[in-house]
Amino acid sequence: MKGKTGLIRIWAVGSCLVVLGTILFLFAYIFIKGAGAISWTFLTDVPRGLILGTEGGILPAIVGSLYYTLIACAFAAFLGISAAVYQVFYCKSDRLRSAIALIMQCMAGVPSIVLGLFGYSLLVLTLGWGKCILAGGVTQGIMILPFIQVRAEKALREADAGLVRASYALGVSRSHTIRRIVLPQCLPQLVSAVILGACYAMGAAAPLIFTGAVILSKVPRSLLKPTMALPYHLYMLLTQGTSSENAYGTAFVLMMVVLVTNTAATWFAWRRKK
Amino acid sequence: MRKIADRLLGAAVGALCLLSVLILAFMVFFIVRESLPAIREVGLRDLLLGDQWRPIIYRDAPSYGLRNMILSTLYVSVLAVALALVLGVGCALFLACAATERQRALVMPCIDLLAGIPSVVYGFVGLYIVIRAIEACGRAAGESILAGGIVLSVMILPYMISACCETMVHVRERYGAASRAMGVSRWYMAGALVLPASRRGILISMALATGRAMGETMAVMMVLGNAIAAPSLLGKGETISALIALEMGMAEVGSIHFSALYAAGLVLMVLLFAINIGFELVKRKLSREGSL
Repeated sequence: MKGKTGLIRIWAVGSCLVVLGTILFLFAYIFIKGAGAISWTFLTDVPRGLILGTEGGILPAIVGSLYYTLIACAFAAFLGISAAVYQVFYCKSDRLRSAIALIMQCMAGVPSIVLGLFGYSLLVLTLGWGKCILAGGVTQGIMILPFIQVRAEKALREADAGLVRASYALGVSRSHTIRRIVLPQCLPQLVSAVILGACYAMGAAAPLIFTGAVILSKVPRSLLKPTMALPYHLYMLLTQGTSSENAYGTAFVLMMVVLVTNTAATWFAWRRKK
Repeated sequence: MRKIADRLLGAAVGALCLLSVLILAFMVFFIVRESLPAIREVGLRDLLLGDQWRPIIYRDAPSYGLRNMILSTLYVSVLAVALALVLGVGCALFLACAATERQRALVMPCIDLLAGIPSVVYGFVGLYIVIRAIEACGRAAGESILAGGIVLSVMILPYMISACCETMVHVRERYGAASRAMGVSRWYMAGALVLPASRRGILISMALATGRAMGETMAVMMVLGNAIAAPSLLGKGETISALIALEMGMAEVGSIHFSALYAAGLVLMVLLFAINIGFELVKRKLSREGSL
């Protein structure tokens, strides 16, 4: 029996070390290898070179990714938080509430590539938007909608019930209570959910392949034009074997985004606890 | 006046909620609509079981069989979940049984970072590290199901660890004090009490992780080699999601090829759905037996 307990201890401690080591390795590898490629020109120039992408920078991809992410966040935050408000404060039947939760769960399980197919069929073909920033952004928005909705619902449900009841007791209307008491109280958590959703959208290439991302473009000027995106650009650089240095640089930017957004989200979540 | 504002807000959020929910219905509708021509033309049986995928007419008639892609998807996912299970459950056990509240609060956000890393970056590291490591072991080509499984297992770790850890902390909080009072050592409790009592939580985490693994596209596409063949551990393969991502650009809108790719997406969705229902059934059975 003693031996088995010892084995479990070694297994638990060992796997925890392996996991933490892997995380450290992933970030260290990209940051160390990528730091050399980062320069002011790399961040603010368009792709150049005989084979485009081997020289120059990634500005169109950075700006493009920001556009896609902003549209995705606006779409998902608006729908997701509204749905959560309905679910927590207006929905009267428990059955309906759990049905909404189930549907959101199903939606969260749909693979991102299938979302891309859906976006292509509905937005690009049926609605006739063509491949563009708007179509890509909305497709990504659909991807992060359940992510944000589930977190928003949890935040609203955990809002101080005493305060809400006191507000009702004073004769304050429901809409006023939600706007003036519940939403301000939950704001840090809602912001944190949207930031994490943004991080998720920023890194996803699969929904964009058919709906918006292109290999090469200028800095976008219109929402109805397709444009480059960081993750797709990285994919192209790697599979075409054009430039591994620029690939490291692009990965560096993506990992930086992950680190910054996650730190910000954790900070916002902590603020609520205090 | 107030009443009206209240009603208005209620109606507005209700409508938006309905819209969010309807997106799923739209999704199913559009995917099914686009895949119907291929299902009608090729037949469901040939689509699912055919082992030839030849979308471009070249000497023989085109053929659309998804069997190898379905098998590759399952193979890679099962491998990834098995690998992640070993590391993830061990790590969760440590975090739940040996780490303090503060250490957990520090480590969990780090593990969540893994979930934020874009899948292309995973593919990148897989391409430069995992594949080269396999090639260093004497294989001519490192792109393989094994490489895909390893890369995917890291990607699904955060989902696994956080779901397992949550259950295990519950178990420990419920029985930990009693167990300590009886003089049982920490690791004996971990192995004899926490681990078996968390079966259901571990299963839920596996369902979550399988879903993630099967739907993953970019990282798997970059390390799997993308050769349509019956999958073997060290051989190349191509998952359903990779097939869609790679061939949509070539398929003419409205052609059978185009429709067959939508059918592949539909198959992927149905597969995920079936697996989730399967896990749900086992979960219910376990919860009747009273584990957490």
